[in-house]
Parts: sequence; structure tokens; C-alpha cells
Amino acid sequence: MSLGAYLTLAAAVFAIGLFGVLTRRNAVGILLGIELMLNAVNINLVAFARFGGDLGGILFTLFTIAITVAEVAVGLAIVIVIFRVRRTVEADHLDLLRG
Amino acid sequence: MTLETVAFAGVAVVLLVSSLGVVLTPNLFHSVLWLAAALVATGGVFLLLAAPFLFGVQLLLYAGGVVTIVVFAIMLTERLVGRTIRQASRYLVNGAVLSAAVFVGIVGFLVQAPAVTGRPEVTGDLTLAVGRALVGPFALVLELLAVLLVVALLGALYFARSES
Amino acid sequence: MSLRVGSAMVALLVLALPFAAFLLLALVRPLRRSAVAAAVTSITAMVAAVASAFWLSWRAVPRVLLQSPSTTWTWIPADGGPMATVGVMVDEKSMAMCMLVTFVSLMVQLYSWAYLHDEPRTSLGRYYAYHSLFAFSMLGLVLAPTFIQMFVFWELVGLCSYLLIGYWYDRPSAARAAVKAFWITKLGDLGFVAGIVMLWVAAGTFDFWDLFRLANAGALPRDGMPLIMFLIYLGAVGKSAQFPLHVWLPDAMEGPTPVSALIHAATMVTAGVFLVTRAFPLFLLVPDVLTLIAWVGAFTALLAASMACVENDIKRVLAYSTVSQLGYMMAAAGAQSPSAGFNHLLAHGVFKALLFLGAGVVIHIFHTNDVFRMGGLRTQPLVWVPFVLATLALAGVPPLPGFFTKEAILGGVLEAHLTLPFAMLALTAFLTAFYMFRVVFLTFFRPGLGDSHAPHHVPALMSLVCWTLTVFTIASGVAMARQVLSAGHHDDAPAWLPAFSLALAGGGILLAWLMYQRQALDPARLSAALAPLDWAARRRYGIDAVFVGLYRFALLAFARLVGWLDRYVVDGILNVLSAWTLRAGDRARRLQSGQPQDYVYGVAFGVLLLFVLAQWRLR
Repeated sequence: MSLGAYLTLAAAVFAIGLFGVLTRRNAVGILLGIELMLNAVNINLVAFARFGGDLGGILFTLFTIAITVAEVAVGLAIVIVIFRVRRTVEADHLDLLRG
Repeated sequence: MTLETVAFAGVAVVLLVSSLGVVLTPNLFHSVLWLAAALVATGGVFLLLAAPFLFGVQLLLYAGGVVTIVVFAIMLTERLVGRTIRQASRYLVNGAVLSAAVFVGIVGFLVQAPAVTGRPEVTGDLTLAVGRALVGPFALVLELLAVLLVVALLGALYFARSES
Repeated sequence: MSLRVGSAMVALLVLALPFAAFLLLALVRPLRRSAVAAAVTSITAMVAAVASAFWLSWRAVPRVLLQSPSTTWTWIPADGGPMATVGVMVDEKSMAMCMLVTFVSLMVQLYSWAYLHDEPRTSLGRYYAYHSLFAFSMLGLVLAPTFIQMFVFWELVGLCSYLLIGYWYDRPSAARAAVKAFWITKLGDLGFVAGIVMLWVAAGTFDFWDLFRLANAGALPRDGMPLIMFLIYLGAVGKSAQFPLHVWLPDAMEGPTPVSALIHAATMVTAGVFLVTRAFPLFLLVPDVLTLIAWVGAFTALLAASMACVENDIKRVLAYSTVSQLGYMMAAAGAQSPSAGFNHLLAHGVFKALLFLGAGVVIHIFHTNDVFRMGGLRTQPLVWVPFVLATLALAGVPPLPGFFTKEAILGGVLEAHLTLPFAMLALTAFLTAFYMFRVVFLTFFRPGLGDSHAPHHVPALMSLVCWTLTVFTIASGVAMARQVLSAGHHDDAPAWLPAFSLALAGGGILLAWLMYQRQALDPARLSAALAPLDWAARRRYGIDAVFVGLYRFALLAFARLVGWLDRYVVDGILNVLSAWTLRAGDRARRLQSGQPQDYVYGVAFGVLLLFVLAQWRLR
């Protein structure tokens, strides 16, 4: 398969992840959408590593995965704390930064 | 119709379907399950791209660790009772339009971009090379990642501690 | 040379003394609050000033001026010589005016002490401070060597007039009168300053001596001169109450009577005549303007005399009389006999001041200004002799000064072949005698209130001042008579003129006697016979109404329009802009919904825009 196919696949997954981020009410649901988007990025990186002859793509993917894990952990910890304080994780209700 | 093409098609279908499942399912827990499937399918894509090491990492960390964390988070925060997609999501049409536009934008960009050529495709066992690189030129990054993980751990612990 | 310098120093002393008194009174509060101390300060300064002015006239009298009589110091430096200078100009005219101003000021200040006895002590301090300032301003005006210095003091004099007319500032009529005087004279001053500046542009200097030299050498541009001199004349029109800017003078009688005696008889109002006389070499260049001055002067004289005939307020009558006499002086200047006008100015200053002060005496006795509520003072010559003598002087009865000076003016006007102005002035002379003696008969000799009372107590100081002025009047009249007799007859003036002017005076007095003393002619029937004139004169010919109308409808309407523009257009634009800003801000603020998904929308839009941009560029 050509590079373009993989990239298109990644773009599709990215778009679907974006849809999830934009539409989900639940904060955890939003985080799931973010996971999809990061996944798509990973696919991109590995595809470029394979077809572009660069090892760096694979290394970068490794790093991305590690960072994503950290981000998920901290993010969900925050969600839990919000839930404790406001008794809701519905994104619509979390508007304290409203202008 | 090579084997690679068929495999790609299959993995792609699974990935796309499970991704849609992630974003469209009203029930959050089902959503997590679909995510697990999507992550495994992504591992399959890595395998097709001759990166078996990453396939392993993906399954271990992502499909194993992240999914577990998310499940815990759901347990601690929200009821799992399913609701309709309309209640679970907002502005579906707007989101769909925007996502489609982004997709079209990226693909349109890809179509126009000059092709990546002139580089030899990577073959052979990359795992050894990756390992060598990690303790070689990228050692610093490795250490920094370790620090990051420690910090994240501490942060999560701090957030999750009890009120007293 | 040394005499000239010495005289400059003395002139400065004359200026400095009242100014020092003013400064002391203005800055040292305890001095001002004590009426006695204030009066003493002011009067002492005035006495010293009179003495200095007297010494100046006695010792430093250059008859023929070979060089500039001015001593000046640089005020506004510029390349190629100073732009403006300050200093003193000591010549015949300024010395004569100094004597008049200081002497009459002193008399009035002494008189005021008795007249304003009932005033609160602290107010009197203010009064004397204003008097000192006024003396300083007027002296500065007459001693000025340049147009610009004269203008500065001109304005100062106007300020003092405002302050003194409005001395009783808690009376609305007085406050209004002060403002009116200020406004009307300001109208004239606009012309004055415009004229001065244009003259400077044309000639390059403000200095009188330099300007006269240029004028005599014919070095001044011909084209603009009529306009320039007319504008300068406008200043005189305002200050010297010529038609149509005469309306402020009758209302200025709201001020205390001594103030009227000083400012509106002898000194301030004469500033306009002094200006024309001083700048006469320049006016000679524009004979048309001089003719206009003569006509306006004659007309003003007649107009004011007609209004005086129907006035009941004694001070108003005297005010109209002053306007009328100022018209005489201006007519003389316009007829190219400035010295005749100037002599009349000096003589008139003394006996008009005496008239006002004498009127102050009867006002003090009867506590009213209305002549119809006075009378019965036949048996008190101490009261009526000064006033009657001054009236005779004003009417033009020899050997009093008014006769000689008026005759000189009439002669000058006739010489200049200004027939209609001559006729107007002659009629005015007749009317002057008539209305003044009308006042005399009604105030003193008619059987009235005064009879029943015991002899009225007139404060000694007031009497003393009045008698001093009377003596001066008689003395100056005798001196004039002697001079005329010794110098022989004027070859130029027609021989019938003295007899004619005497006949005019006599006729006026006779008519007044018949109407008011003998009651042989009924004044009411005469008014009925001259009904339209009588009606118009009583309403001041509507000129006041014109000014009020202008002020109310033109000025106030304009102000209202500007105010409307300011409120609805200027402020409106600003308010609309700010309202739009606020509304836009309100709308923009809704972008900050506080919900991260909305922000992701924003980011996604931005990314799309970048894509579009990139596509464009690649193409």
C-alpha cells in the first residue's frame, strides 16, 4: 500500500476523533476522542518512518505514546477531582472560565 | 490483490468502525470498549508498517494501560446507564460538518503535496536499532520521559488523595 | 536731555504712586479691611501724585518737540529692534491729562469718604483699592508712548469701570449695568485692537512718535489707512459713548455717584477723545474718517440731549449730558480742531465732576434720584451755588470755561464747512442749557420738600470738595477769558459766533425758567405737541432694545445652537461610538463560553483557514 493510503486512513481517524471531542458531553468522552486523534498521529509517524526511510518516526511514536499515557493519567485525575468538587463531569457545566 | 492490500483493507475497516463506535455510542463504557478495539486495530496497522516493536508497545501501554485507567475513571465518576446519542452529545451536525471539513482539508493537502521519494524503505529488524538509539543519541530524551512519568505519577497521586 | 530724563522719572512716579497704593491694598488684607487705613493709603498716594503731576507740568513743558518725548524700555524683543516697548511719553497733552486725572481722582476719593460713610468698613477698603487701580490705569493710558501700551491700559480702565460700576455687586441692576458697560466697550475694543495690529503690519511699529514721523513723511501705505483708522476710531466709539455704542453710559449710573463723577464724566470716557487727539497726525491722513467722526459726534450730541430732556433721574440727565458733551469733543476733533476738543475735555472734566458731586449732595439730602421729589433748597446757597455755577459752565455762560471751549468748537466746526453738524451742535447747545436748568429749577428752586425741613446737614467734606471744584472752575474760566482777551479775536471765527452761542445758552435757560419756575408754559402740553419725539426719546429711541435683541436672539440663539450641536452631534458621535464598542464587546464576550469544546471549534476553524491559505499559496 502506498503512503497516501496510510495517511488518508490516519486523516479519517483524526477527523472521527475530532468529531468525538467536539460533540461529547462527558469529559471522559472528550478524552477518548483525544486518544483517537493521538492514535492517528502515531499512524502518520510510523507510515512516514516506513516510507520515508527514517528511524526517527518510530522513536517519535514511542515518545508520543509515553507522553500520552502520562497525559491520560493526569487528565483523568483532574476529572476525578472535578467530580468530587462539582459532582458532575458534564462539560457543559464546567464553565467557570466563562467571560 | 496482494496479501498486504487485503490485510490493510481489513485492518482499516476494523479501525474505522471501532473509531465510529467510540464517538457515537451513548453508553460511555461501550465507548471504552470500542476504543480498545480501535487501539488493537492500530497495533495491526503498525504491524503492517513493519514495526512489530510498536505493535507490542501499543498493546501493552495503550490497549492495556490507558483503557484500564479510563475504565477506572468512569467507575469513579459517572453512572453507566445508557442514554440516547442526542443526550450524550451536543451539536452533532456542527461537529460532523467541521470534522468532515478538516478531513477534506488534510486530504486535499495530501493530494497536492509533492510525493515523498528518493529514500530507501526501511527493512530488517528495527527493534535493535531502536534500542540502540534509545541508549545512544536519544538517551537524554529517554531520561526526560522518565522524569515526566514520575511527575505525572506524583501529580495524579496528589490529585487523587483523600480530603483529609 | 537731562530734563527729559528727569521728567520721565517724575512721570513714572506719578504712575507708581497709585499703583503702589493699589498693591498695598490688594495684598495687605488688614490694611484693606480697615476703611480708614485704606482711605488714607489711597488718598495719600493721590496727593503725592497730584503734587508730582503739578511739578511735571510746571517744570517740564516742551512746547516744540524736536525729538521723541517718550522714554521707553524694551518689552518684547525681536530681531531688528524690539517689537513693543513700554515707557512714558511726557508732552503737553499727557501732562494736562495727568493733572486732570490726579486732581479729580483726589477730589472724588475725599468726597467718597463722606458720601459712602454708611458702607460696611471692609467694602470701603475694596472701593479705595479699585480707585487706586483706576488712577494707575488711566495715568498709564495717557502717558503711553505706544499704541500697544495704551491698549493694555485701555483694557485695564475698562476693567476698573466694571469693578466700580458693579461695586454694589449684590444689586442685580448694578451687576447687569457693569456687564453691559464691559460688553459694549468690548465691541469697540475689538475694532481698536484690529486697527492697531493692522497698523503695525503696515508700519512695523507701535510707537506714536515713529508713526507720526512716518505719517508726516508720507511713508504709510495709502490704501489700508482709512480702514485702519476707522477701526481705531471704533475703540473711541465704545469708550467715549458715541452713537451707537452710547447705551452703556446711562446704565452705568448704577455705581456710586463719586464713581460716576470720576469715571463717567472726567476721565475714563474721555479716553476715546484722548485717543483721537493723540493719534491726530494719523487721522489727518484720512480726512473722510475725520468727517465721519464729526458727523457721528454731532449726531450723538443731539441724540443724547434730546433724551436728557425727558429724564427724571438726576444722574441719568448728567449721564446723557456727558454723552452729549463727548459728542461735542469728537465733533471738534473731526472738524480738525483737536485742541478745541481737548480744551473742552479738560474744562468739562472739572465742571462735570462738580455737577455729579453736587448731585450727590442732593441725593444725600433727599435719598432719591428723582428730581420731581426734590426742591425747596432756595434758602441754602451752600448747597446750590456750586451746582448752579457748574450748570452755567456747562450751558456756556461766560466767564465760565464752558463758554470759551464750546465757542471754539462751534468755530472749528463752522470753519470746516460742516454745516449740518454745526446746526446739530447749535441745537444741542440750546437743549443743553434747557435741560440742565430744568434740573436746576426742579431740584433746588421749586417749592418742595426741602422747605419744610430744617437746614439739611451736608457733610463738611462733601461741601469742601464741591467748593474747591467750584473755585477751580471759576479760576479756569477767568484764565481762559484773560487769554482770549489778550490774544485778540480769532481772525478765523466769525464775529457773530460768541453772541450766537450766548444767545443759545440764554434761550435755553429762559425756556426752562418759563416752563419750570414760572410755570408759564405747561411741560405736558409741549410733550403732547412733540408727541412722537417725546415718545421715542422716553424709550431711548429703541437702541437699547436693539442691543438686547441682538444679545438675546442672535447671541443666545447661537449659543443654544452650538450647545445643541455639542450635546447631540459631538457628544452624540462619541456616545454612539462608545455604545457600539460596548455592544461589540458584549457580543464578543460570548465567545468566551468557558467550555473547552467551543474553543476546540475555534482551533479547528483556524486550522481549516491555514489549510485554505496553504492551498492558495501552493497554487
